[in-house]
Amino acid sequence: MKLLVVEDERSLSRSICDYLRMEGHICEEAANYRDAVIRTADNRYDGVILDMGLSDGSGLNVIREMKENKSTDRILILSARSSLEDKLVGLKTGADDYLTKPFHMAELSARLNSIYRRDNFMGFNEMIFNEIKVRIEENQAYVNDQLLNLTRKEYDLLVFFMVNRDRIVTKESIVEHLWGDNVVLTDSFDFVYTHVKNLRKKLIAKNCRNYIKVIYGFGYKFSDS
Amino acid sequence: MVAGFVFYYSIRTIVYRQIDNSLIMEKTIIQDQIEETDSIPDFSASFGHQIEVRILDSPTSYSQIIRDTSIYDARTRNFLQSRYIKFKSNTKKNTGYVISIYHGLKENQELLDSIALGMIFIFLALLLVSIIVNYFISKKLWHPFYNALNEANSFNILSDKPLKLSDTGINEFRQLNKVFEQMTTKMRMDYLNLKEFNENSSHEIQTPLSVIRSKLDILMQNQRLNKKSMDLIKSVNEAATRILKLNQGLLLISKIENLQFPETREISLKDLIENYLKNYEEILQLRKIRIETEFSDKAIIRINEILADVLISNLLGNAFRYNIDGGFIICSLSNQVLTITNSGLPLEVDPELLFNRFRKGADHPEAVGLGLSIVKKIVDYYKMKISYTCKGTVHEIKLNYRGEAIL
Repeated sequence: MKLLVVEDERSLSRSICDYLRMEGHICEEAANYRDAVIRTADNRYDGVILDMGLSDGSGLNVIREMKENKSTDRILILSARSSLEDKLVGLKTGADDYLTKPFHMAELSARLNSIYRRDNFMGFNEMIFNEIKVRIEENQAYVNDQLLNLTRKEYDLLVFFMVNRDRIVTKESIVEHLWGDNVVLTDSFDFVYTHVKNLRKKLIAKNCRNYIKVIYGFGYKFSDS
Repeated sequence: MVAGFVFYYSIRTIVYRQIDNSLIMEKTIIQDQIEETDSIPDFSASFGHQIEVRILDSPTSYSQIIRDTSIYDARTRNFLQSRYIKFKSNTKKNTGYVISIYHGLKENQELLDSIALGMIFIFLALLLVSIIVNYFISKKLWHPFYNALNEANSFNILSDKPLKLSDTGINEFRQLNKVFEQMTTKMRMDYLNLKEFNENSSHEIQTPLSVIRSKLDILMQNQRLNKKSMDLIKSVNEAATRILKLNQGLLLISKIENLQFPETREISLKDLIENYLKNYEEILQLRKIRIETEFSDKAIIRINEILADVLISNLLGNAFRYNIDGGFIICSLSNQVLTITNSGLPLEVDPELLFNRFRKGADHPEAVGLGLSIVKKIVDYYKMKISYTCKGTVHEIKLNYRGEAIL
């Protein structure tokens, strides 16, 4: 994917780009409103990651400018404000998704993927990892073309793992991904363990190799190495 | 009143003195007559006074008594209130005689009574008039005061309107209002500044936290790290997560305080609870926590969606986070009250104290200590009522959810 990160906090935009490049994306940076408007006018991106609180003009104006230029680039807003109002205004103006700071990189990755798949319906509605295949529009997963009987959360977990393959995903990021970033319950890690255990059991039952590795103290890594 | 009595008695005294004077005068006339003519005068024309003169056989000592008495009147068969004088003396021939003169008090009493009555009437009328006049005067006079009092009473530091008092024509009140207004303006400014500071600092913390988190995410992907470095990253990550949760909690509280959740919807607490329990089904099974629900009402209330979610997830979240493995949660919903009863460890602090910020049970150092204070804020915001009791290992939260929404 070719991505643009619009973020005035240099250090944050650098690490977002580093992470996304590690995943094999092409990533450009824009540090202010002007830069963002020029870049989006001249180039096509698969996704624009846009900070709402730019110092030299609201991120909202970037979206407006892009819509005026008939840009079809997908937009994901980042905001330090988690209020519903900001979210609604952003989505109404034309953003595709919304993420509240601070976020997990794995979550950002998952969101970008889901936005991208929405766009590229043909040929991209399947995610394949060796013998595992996920049909996105069916919400179903297969191992060697055999249907896996997963619960909703197990399915979400599998997709999350596959999007973040070869990366360590922390238990916290899994909790936030599966149950929302509720203020209260984020320290109930036990049941991440249960879900992972069940998912692994179901995969292995269909003769799938064990790709889910425990990284002690952190979380998991979905990888075939 | 006192003046009335004083007046009454002074009139009475004057009347009595007059009567006494006239008694003495009559007596003197009779005495003169007796002493001059040595005979008992004729008292047929005694103007209703009874005069009695007795010649005594022997000389007597001189004495004069004036006092109240009552005499029997044969005509009206009544005892009449009278004033009488009894005078004893000797004539020149040294014969004793007694003069008794009775003076009926009836007319005087009537006079006194009517004076008293008149007085009472005048007094009452005066009282009434003065009360009415006073009432209207003070109403007019204190009107600006009560106005200001009402305004000040309904003044809310959270509202966006400063205190504005209507102008009065009275200098003292104008000064008072001015002081009032200045004071509240200052209060409001301080409050707004503080609020803004809290909000901004919380928001500003979010960005560096994002940086920390993103760097950690990248750092932990490094495959050349040894166990020691991984442990360090892990601790840093945990600490960062804690700050984050704390900050989010504080932000939420300040948002509730700033009334930033005006939009409301009809929401069924029953549906909300059922959804929540469904979402956490697995963890409840994992910990072998038994759930009992008893919903006799759908419990539909007008509430902000986010706040409703936070409210229920905090309450139920506590009920199973602080539960024991193999414990229970009983959740019952009547048309007034939501009761959540759960097993857990006994509490060492007063459960009501846990509604305060940063208060947490001693057994849970990892908790942020904001959950119940957020609950309390929401409960207060919607004017609901909540209580938390703990008997041994049984914890019970009662939420009277029929509050009224402000705004």
